[in-house]
Amino acid sequence: MSLYRSAVRLLPACLRVTSRRALVTSSARTKDHDLHLPTPAGPLGTWATLKPRPEKYVDTEADIDPSVTDPLRHPDYFGVRELFTMSDLFDARVHLGHREGSLNPYMAEFLLGSRLGHCVFDLERTAQLLRDALNFTAHIAYRGGIIMFVCRSPQHVHMVERTAMECGEFSHCRHWPPGVFTDSTALFGGVTRLPDLLVLLNTLDTVLEQHGAVKHAAKMLIPTVGVVDSNCDPRLVTYPVPGNDDSTTAVRLYCKLFSEAIRRGKAEREKSAVV
Amino acid sequence: MSLGREQAGQVQQRPAKNTSKAMMAYLERATKHEEFMRKQVHEFEIGKRHLANMMGEDPEHFTQEDVDRAIEYLFPTGIFDKKARPKMRHPTEVFPQQKAAQFDATGRPFHTLFYTLKPNFYMTLYELVEKMNQLDRLQAKNDALGKLPDITQKLSLLGSEWLDIEELGKMLVETLKEPQYQEFVRAMNRLVEHPLAYHHKDFIFKYRKMLRVSNETDTVPELLFDSAGRPYMEATGYRKRAVARAVVHGRGSGRVTVNGLPLVHYCHRDGGRSGNQDVAQYDGPTQRYHGKRRRGHRKRTSFVPEPWKRPHPVQAPSSQAGAVRHAVSLALRSFVDKEMQETMRLAGLLTRDVRERERYKPGKKGSRKGRTWKKR
Repeated sequence: MSLYRSAVRLLPACLRVTSRRALVTSSARTKDHDLHLPTPAGPLGTWATLKPRPEKYVDTEADIDPSVTDPLRHPDYFGVRELFTMSDLFDARVHLGHREGSLNPYMAEFLLGSRLGHCVFDLERTAQLLRDALNFTAHIAYRGGIIMFVCRSPQHVHMVERTAMECGEFSHCRHWPPGVFTDSTALFGGVTRLPDLLVLLNTLDTVLEQHGAVKHAAKMLIPTVGVVDSNCDPRLVTYPVPGNDDSTTAVRLYCKLFSEAIRRGKAEREKSAVV
Repeated sequence: MSLGREQAGQVQQRPAKNTSKAMMAYLERATKHEEFMRKQVHEFEIGKRHLANMMGEDPEHFTQEDVDRAIEYLFPTGIFDKKARPKMRHPTEVFPQQKAAQFDATGRPFHTLFYTLKPNFYMTLYELVEKMNQLDRLQAKNDALGKLPDITQKLSLLGSEWLDIEELGKMLVETLKEPQYQEFVRAMNRLVEHPLAYHHKDFIFKYRKMLRVSNETDTVPELLFDSAGRPYMEATGYRKRAVARAVVHGRGSGRVTVNGLPLVHYCHRDGGRSGNQDVAQYDGPTQRYHGKRRRGHRKRTSFVPEPWKRPHPVQAPSSQAGAVRHAVSLALRSFVDKEMQETMRLAGLLTRDVRERERYKPGKKGSRKGRTWKKR
């Protein structure tokens, strides 16, 4: 963790975040006006970025009202905040992005900056978004939804398929025929129930273009949770999780977290026997 | 894979109208298919009884072989391709197998890879990778202990080959495309190359088919012995309209004669000679055609040369030489062990070459060449 801090301190002045609040460990929600990011001439500052999402994040240290029992009203019904710490994210190298040259402009808001040409993710922002994603996944599992894992990175296909098998869900880590969602009746030979959630461990295909599933899920109104690296487009992903999608340690961590969230959701479903 | 809750019997408690659209559509299709198959089976049984009556046999004990014989008798055909000839088989053999329901009443699929459209195929690939990883871990453990792989158990793929794309598709009940099949074959070859692959012999041989070793009706005749006690064998070979009768003596002098003349004089063209020399390579000089012998030790070769080796590319072996080659190879079978016989069979030495001269057709000069075409 100290390496992360020292690396951030060594960022050149034009790229260093000037607000001290952003560097504090406690989960301060970073508002847009807090990050006084300058716009230097160069890859990080020349295009418009997305407006930040509305303020619906959960404060980790806030006291949870025990009288709130409705799962949907509860801020963290499945306790996903306990599943990981920022230290775990750092150790799994989640903060490492690609080089500046391949940076997608819509990912710039999720970065702290870059170090020697390599983009560095803001783990506080990642942590918040990951908690949201895990919470949503757990809720979908709680309601008996079909969850499908997607990953086209060859070295992780086996791991992701095994994760899906172990938590009793589905995966699609192979070639994606265009009509799987949009023309499902023809491809599957009959009316088919489609997944209720897509968890993308890598939103890019093997040829570094966006995976067809992102667009098709959006067309079919299927929510997506996606790990978006610095070269990915987060716009169509419902719950983007900015972070490294290439390191095996990072993917292993995501698999562990998502499968645990699903297990918690299903356990709760068994307990309460909700229709 | 499916929820424990659903399997615990709550499916039955769910009212029918809550059944998913997917399940209802499947049930409709399944009932239609069942109805269709029932009708087909009924027609087949009735047809079999009619056939038995026509042939004057007992309808109760009319087997499939009897059906085949009856069809062959009642519908004589000169069609060359056996698959194109009329036949009557049980509907389960004729109509492709359909997959059972792949999802439960709520529409949730059973198979984890359902959405890949080829769950069985990709499950096979998954298992393959799982086994590769297992073998790698085992090897790492063995390396640490200084253990070497067991050479005596090394996998031998001789006499078998990978199932082809149709057979694999039939086994998995899924139609595969060529790139997917190639991926499968490449992956399986990688597994087979692993030094510890013998641990997963059953898995590997599930996807291999044994090549037919030999025709059941083609038994190799026993060696005959002449008055002096020497083994010999006679055989007849054919090629186009040529017929050759070869007599091969064991423990011979190595000399070869054809119609009383030495081989070099009879086969004045190189091609004919080389075809026969290839045969000689197989088990060394123990042969004699029509009287002469050749001495020498038995030589075993494992490589399979090209059947028509031509030192000069223009000449082709004459049909007589081909017939002689066939005859000698057939005779040599009795002298040689099973492995060598198999090698000879794979080299094509034992097969009667059925290529005959194509017939002349009216309106043509010969079999193919047309008459001169004039524009006007």
